[in-house]
Amino acid sequence: MKTSPFRAVFNRRSTAMEKYLLAIIIGYIVIVALKNPLFFSVETLFDMLRSGSGVMILAIGVLIVLVSGGIDVSFTAIAVVSGYTSVKLMLALGIDNILFAFMVSIVVGCLLGAINALIIYRFNLPTLIVTLGTASAYHGLMATVLGTKSFPTGAMPQSLVNFGSTDLIVINSDTGRYGLTVFLPIVIAVLVLTWFILYRTMLGRQVFAVGSNEESASRLGINIFRTKLFVYAYSGALSGLMGIIYFSELKYVNPVSLVGTELMIIAAVVIGGAKLTGGEGTILGTILGIVVVQLFQSTLVFLGLGSSWNDLFFGAVLLISLGVMYYRQRIQDRKNLVFATA
Amino acid sequence: MKRPTKLLGLTVTAIAATALLAGCGTVGETGGATAAGGSDDGVFRIATVSKVEGISWFEAMRTGVDQFNEDNGDVVEAWQTGPDTGDPAKQVQIVEDLIAQGVDALVVVPNDPQSIAPVLKKARDAGIVVITHEAPALAATESVDYDLEAFDNAEFGEKMFEQLADQMGGKGTFVGEVGSLTSETHMAWYNAGVAYLEANYPDITPVSAQPYEDDNDDSKARDNALEILKAYPDLGGFIGTSVSAGANFAAVLKEKNLTNIATSMLSLPSVAGPYLEEDVVGSAQAWNPAGAGYAANAVALAVLQDQAVESGNDLKFEGYDDVTVDGKLITGAAILMIEKGQYPGGEYPF
Repeated sequence: MKTSPFRAVFNRRSTAMEKYLLAIIIGYIVIVALKNPLFFSVETLFDMLRSGSGVMILAIGVLIVLVSGGIDVSFTAIAVVSGYTSVKLMLALGIDNILFAFMVSIVVGCLLGAINALIIYRFNLPTLIVTLGTASAYHGLMATVLGTKSFPTGAMPQSLVNFGSTDLIVINSDTGRYGLTVFLPIVIAVLVLTWFILYRTMLGRQVFAVGSNEESASRLGINIFRTKLFVYAYSGALSGLMGIIYFSELKYVNPVSLVGTELMIIAAVVIGGAKLTGGEGTILGTILGIVVVQLFQSTLVFLGLGSSWNDLFFGAVLLISLGVMYYRQRIQDRKNLVFATA
Repeated sequence: MKRPTKLLGLTVTAIAATALLAGCGTVGETGGATAAGGSDDGVFRIATVSKVEGISWFEAMRTGVDQFNEDNGDVVEAWQTGPDTGDPAKQVQIVEDLIAQGVDALVVVPNDPQSIAPVLKKARDAGIVVITHEAPALAATESVDYDLEAFDNAEFGEKMFEQLADQMGGKGTFVGEVGSLTSETHMAWYNAGVAYLEANYPDITPVSAQPYEDDNDDSKARDNALEILKAYPDLGGFIGTSVSAGANFAAVLKEKNLTNIATSMLSLPSVAGPYLEEDVVGSAQAWNPAGAGYAANAVALAVLQDQAVESGNDLKFEGYDDVTVDGKLITGAAILMIEKGQYPGGEYPF
């Protein structure tokens, strides 16, 4: 039997959802390119890779939490709080170093994520409620202790500005220079690491097991606490990483931004096939979900449409794809004589 | 299970500390020496409520309020407070707290004029003088004594477009970007500006019937900027009526090393200043929040002292030395052009 190239790379079959998303993406790109041929360029690709990097990292954190059976809505708050803490510390200490920025931000993010896990586990509370609470508490704590003063390009640590402007490949054209962002290798590293943890380690199997059925996982001898601690700390660390990338990309440090976009990112991951009930989700699906969101967001000018269209497109894709996914599941279940609700 | 217990203790302590800190203000009220207790010693107590505390715009406004407090220390106790996020509901809560404290006057910069109108009416019914800023729509209602605007919106828009036309040499195409198509002030500036171009520079045309929106969001403004430059390779100019629009367009122009596109925008000295120095941005304009804070407090004091508020009044701050009063609407002439070389050494006031 001939193996498809997909199978050779991913060592599994593509899910129905992934095929469906890929079709949407290709169809949409063709439509935009027909409407406005200027869209179809390397510059567009490079620009989208740069603006999508931050959300991609957040989405991976969301995926791992969803797989573990939880919903985390505090990750944007963690990203901003970690990034802002790091920037404030750099300005206070006079250290202007990008590695230091990442280190502080990731450590803070990791700690805040760990606090989430502790509260969720010790008090056995629903993850949504806990993270709703901690999101406000973290952001409020930052606002009261550190303030919410924003730093424009000239006043923020210059290492962040320089990092955000760094390109791996630079191309000069008559419509200006553009390049392939330095964020890309970071995103790829995160994807590979997460893939490895989820599919090649015991820990990853435990995350899936806990997400599928916590009770059974516990009886199998899986340490629920340690698994959850890992899931939320890892998601927190990714948020911390994203915080610095976010400020570097915009070259503007505004601690009251970003928070409020979390549901859009969770929805993108869900479109990508992750189940809110846990135990299911793929990295490729997540990537495709984010690509869909990013595509809609950055093609409205080409199509000559107002920004409300973005919400309309996104909502339609969300509803249709989930509808199709769950309908197919039901048909499948009926065929297999499974009558479970989930 | 020894470790988790210890961790639990730590967590509880952390949460308690968080709650304690967050609970300092009733509803996340930050900043502001909230003068508690109603010691009435013949001094008028005037509270200024910002849209959100902590951001540089309202920090600058605070300096105006503080200066007013200093200049009139014998008759006034003036201070500024506000919500920690730009949430209309939190702002309403703070205004209600201030009514309960029995202040003599309120100066409010509403996040959402319509939603705060009823509580302002309540304040007036309680005998409190109410002055708003950036809410001209309220001037026609019973909710305020006066609304103070830094300038005439049409004039501000015309100025912005005149700057653009100048840089473009009177011809070409431009893109406009506003915070949102429903934003009263942004659209007033934009529409007045477009009308001005039609009358004076007919060879300058917008690329789209309506301006683009950025929802005052930096990420979105950045995505728009990248897309606009690709979709309109022959673009002659850019107008940004939100700070995000201008700042992100400038950042992208700088990254792409483009210098042939004219730009005119609403901005802040600290945001546009560096871009003006590098000639990335052609023109930026604003108004000084300190002036607005000072002048609005001056109006409140005038009302409290039963002085006439009429055209020609001098509110003792640059741009407000000869205000126009039309009904309950007070208009200054406080357009601030942010000029290259105006702030040596990067010392920006806001």
